[in-house]
Amino acid sequence: MPKITVDGKQIECRDGVPVLQAVLEAGWDVPHYCYHPGLSVVASCRLCLMEMKMPHPQTKEMDWAPKLFPSCQTPVKDGMEVRFASEGVASSQSHVMEYYLVNHPLDCPVCDKAGECYLQDYSEKFGHASSRMVEDKHKNPKKDIGSKTLLYSDRCVVCSRCVRFGDEVAGAGELRVINRGHRAEIDVFPGVPLENELQGNVVDLCPVGALLSKDFLFQQRVWNLRSTPSVDPTTSAGATIWIDHNDDRIFRVRPRFNEKVNEWWISDETRFGWKYVADSKRLNQPLQRDNGAMKPLRWEAAPELLRRLLDEAASADQGVGVACVLSPMLSCEEAWLLSTFVRSRAPQATLVTGYVPVSGPDKTFPKGFKISAEKAPNRRGVESIIKAMGGPNATFEQFVKSAGDGKFKLAYVTGGYPQVWLTADQARAIGKVQTLITHDLFESALDEYATIRLPGASWAEREGSFMNADGLIQPFERALKPLDGVKSDGQFFHELVGRPGLYRGAKTREAMAEKIPAFGDIFVPRPEPEHAH
Amino acid sequence: MAYEQILMRNCREGGDPSIKQYKAAGGYQALDKALAMKPDELVEFVKGANLRGRGGAGFPAGVKWSFLPPNRTVTYLCVNADESEPPTFCNRVLMEHDPHMLLEGIIIAGYATRTTVAYIYMRGEFTEQFHVLQKAIDEAYADGLLGKNIRGSGYDMECYIHRGAGAYVCGEETGLIESLEGKRGWPRIKPPFPAVEGLFHKPTVVNNVETLACVPHILTRGLDWWNGLGTQNSKGTKMYCVSGPVNRPGCYEAPLGITTRELIYGKDFGGGMRDNMKVKTVAPGGISMGFLRGDMFPKPDGGKVDVTRDCDELDCLLDFDDPRHYGLLGLGTAAAVVVAEDTDIRDVLFNVTRFFSHESCGQCTQCREGTGWMHRVAARIRDGAGRQYDLDLLAEITKNMGMMPGLSICGLPDGAAFPIRTLVQKFRPEFEKRIGEQQADAAKRRILQTNPAAYDLPILQGRAVQPAGGTYMTPEKLKRN
Ligand SMILES: Cc1cc2nc3c(=O)[nH]c(=O)nc-3n(C[C@H](O)[C@H](O)[C@H](O)COP(=O)(O)O)c2cc1C
Ligand code: SF4
Ligand code: SF4
Ligand code: FES
Repeated sequence: MPKITVDGKQIECRDGVPVLQAVLEAGWDVPHYCYHPGLSVVASCRLCLMEMKMPHPQTKEMDWAPKLFPSCQTPVKDGMEVRFASEGVASSQSHVMEYYLVNHPLDCPVCDKAGECYLQDYSEKFGHASSRMVEDKHKNPKKDIGSKTLLYSDRCVVCSRCVRFGDEVAGAGELRVINRGHRAEIDVFPGVPLENELQGNVVDLCPVGALLSKDFLFQQRVWNLRSTPSVDPTTSAGATIWIDHNDDRIFRVRPRFNEKVNEWWISDETRFGWKYVADSKRLNQPLQRDNGAMKPLRWEAAPELLRRLLDEAASADQGVGVACVLSPMLSCEEAWLLSTFVRSRAPQATLVTGYVPVSGPDKTFPKGFKISAEKAPNRRGVESIIKAMGGPNATFEQFVKSAGDGKFKLAYVTGGYPQVWLTADQARAIGKVQTLITHDLFESALDEYATIRLPGASWAEREGSFMNADGLIQPFERALKPLDGVKSDGQFFHELVGRPGLYRGAKTREAMAEKIPAFGDIFVPRPEPEHAH
Repeated sequence: MAYEQILMRNCREGGDPSIKQYKAAGGYQALDKALAMKPDELVEFVKGANLRGRGGAGFPAGVKWSFLPPNRTVTYLCVNADESEPPTFCNRVLMEHDPHMLLEGIIIAGYATRTTVAYIYMRGEFTEQFHVLQKAIDEAYADGLLGKNIRGSGYDMECYIHRGAGAYVCGEETGLIESLEGKRGWPRIKPPFPAVEGLFHKPTVVNNVETLACVPHILTRGLDWWNGLGTQNSKGTKMYCVSGPVNRPGCYEAPLGITTRELIYGKDFGGGMRDNMKVKTVAPGGISMGFLRGDMFPKPDGGKVDVTRDCDELDCLLDFDDPRHYGLLGLGTAAAVVVAEDTDIRDVLFNVTRFFSHESCGQCTQCREGTGWMHRVAARIRDGAGRQYDLDLLAEITKNMGMMPGLSICGLPDGAAFPIRTLVQKFRPEFEKRIGEQQADAAKRRILQTNPAAYDLPILQGRAVQPAGGTYMTPEKLKRN
């Protein structure tokens, strides 16, 4: 690991990174717009300039060169000495910040980015509060460049991050710089809007408020948002994300850096895949069939009722006629608690891996970003638990068939999918089960056969961990209170098992790891440096 | 004294640009001489001539060629014919009248650098020149001078013309390479330098048209002849352009190191000023090098020039070193644009800033915003609404835009900064006088019209900051001006 000296302090850095990356990782705040560790280096914003010691051309003695170097373009070399805390650097930074405001409309009061904008932050820290530019500003237009994205090119700082992202990561090349000089602006080709499946990332990447998400436009001031670390619930890739929410409402989902999975990016599917959480059609009342009609059931009465029903079904044959369908939408902890509960009453119960939605083949982008075809977050987690639990198990198809053949007396079926997940035929087959307990987010074709219907909570209202398709176990936290009338699945299963206190993901994971050691090994991505963006 | 015309021997009205003419004048003999040598010997030979690049930077061609990595398989030669520096037209004259001189230079340089393909990047506006040069290339192919096994030497080289689309920045060598690759002409960050990784990621040499056209003559006439011309660090013959209100505007050849005065007044050159006007200022190396004071200023004391004093600077030698003594960036393209005494200096400033504001490629912040800002300030001054403070402001912008190396990716902002800086520095009394003559309040009224916030926004008044240097404007200061 090379050691370099920055402002008189020695730091150790990773091999082969640019000086800028190394000093950001060491905690320095160096202004930068064009540099992004996931994109090629263009060194065009000229904000990250530093001074460097070089051998004097005549005396060969090491001394500060009378020149500034872009730190994003200079790789670290053992023994090198650089500085940012110097008058030359500070003056260059302050002048560049002034240039950025020359044609900027200064419309922060109506800009979505205000509060998390690096033009604001850097002007405050490295630049000026006012501008000496008294002439007419050149005003680039506002443009609608695609179904999800708006471009306010008057706010653009021409860092070309969005262009490089489109070329290098998304492989779409839809965005381009047009025109020269201060008239330069970002644009799409005529008739070819920005429609690639990763386009949402350009909004995060944009250091200023030039690229905006139509979905988030004017929805919230960002300082009112709280960010909760979470994991993508839409596919099995296990992209890590931030849920930005306020007042128990999600406003947006952003990528959370993950060196093993999604790096800095997420797909639009992940980004906008949370909408169902706020759907008004979500179930919010436990129901119980009483003489053919569904009647409300109190949550408090549900555990006792379920224990009784299970005991009845398992009394004769150790529960051979009992099945429990563990949806891949469940977290590892929830799946473990539920299967533990079922097996405690019905030791021979069949554990079933729930329905796994798949759509098309996996998609891989030029730099390796993947959108996986499997549209559920935790198939592998559920399968691992079923395997570790031992005993009878089945696939979902096998379960449907056996249910249709009348093999089961009782089944506990978990769903939790944002979309329709059952055909009428499948529902009819499952409907042959005498005592059917469903636990789901939305109405489904099973409802007419169900004995008990429990409303589920969305992933944002739960906590736990998902095991992605590559076997990484990644925890996620609860961002929202569950909908009124809904109990989080984990809490309910916790009560079913009869564990004391409140359900907590981490606690449950510990208990689970004692039984299944593999679950002790979770992965938490390395946090991004505070001043990196 | 008339100088021998070497590069320009065929440059006259009605001259014949054909291969027949060129051969009759002794053309393509240097090529045979070159092909008899080993490529590396040839590189050493050109190094010995200290042939400094004619494109503006003055970097020795032989040294540039020797930077190529030794174990390369593909090498490209880019011929920079994008000549877009204002008042410069030497390359154009040469390509128009003697295209084979350039081709011979290309083939020899190509052989020396083991070039596989040579691309001539020609500025888009050159239409006639394109046809002349294309015809010459066709003739050369027909004559076995290009293509496979050139003159039986076993050396192969292809040559194509690529036409630009009219951007100054595509004359910058890496901007040229990007443009040649079919991309937006955005100069690249260096390192890697083109010699290591250039066109299509292969080792590449970029040379100016005139640089290459000199090569055959050095070979036929020898190093002694070449090194006998010019001044100490600037050897050889050079094409000069002179334009503006002189009696004989045009392109002339002379050894490096004639004086600016000779270029304007010499009877073989500019032939003096029209109507016996005096020279107010002249940009002797293309506008991006900066401006000299003309002879409407008094003669310097004892021939010694002190750039801080108002004096005639026309004795500046046009070689690679002397312009620096006058606060200029360098020799540039040795194309002088002369401004007569009756021209308002504010118009000169306006024109200069307009060019660079139009041509900055928009990549680097200082250059993108600084050029545009200066242009708008210059426009306001020209319109009679300047402030004394604007002169300091312009000087400050030029300083932090392009005066310190490393501030931006390419040399364009240096080229934008020097003329403006030298104009403001050297003509400050005139600017001040003009601004003083304006209608009272003109500046204030104009600024209020375009940008009321600059005066009235209370938050700005309250929070305007003064950096350590103290040059930052507060609204109060602004009002005073
Ligand atoms: C903004 C800019 C514009 C330039 N334009 C030209 C040009 O039009 N023609 C040219 O020959 N060199 C131009 N140059 C210089 C080239 O970058 C390069 O130095 C030159 O082509 C090298 O050739 P030489 O060594 O033969 O002079 C320009 C440089 C800059 C920074
Ligand atoms: S739109 Fe944003 S990301 Fe794209 S170049 Fe402009 S500032 Fe950079
Ligand atoms: S310095 Fe100016 S012209 Fe050169 S690359 Fe940067 S923005 Fe473009
Ligand atoms: S120049 Fe280094 S971050 Fe932009």
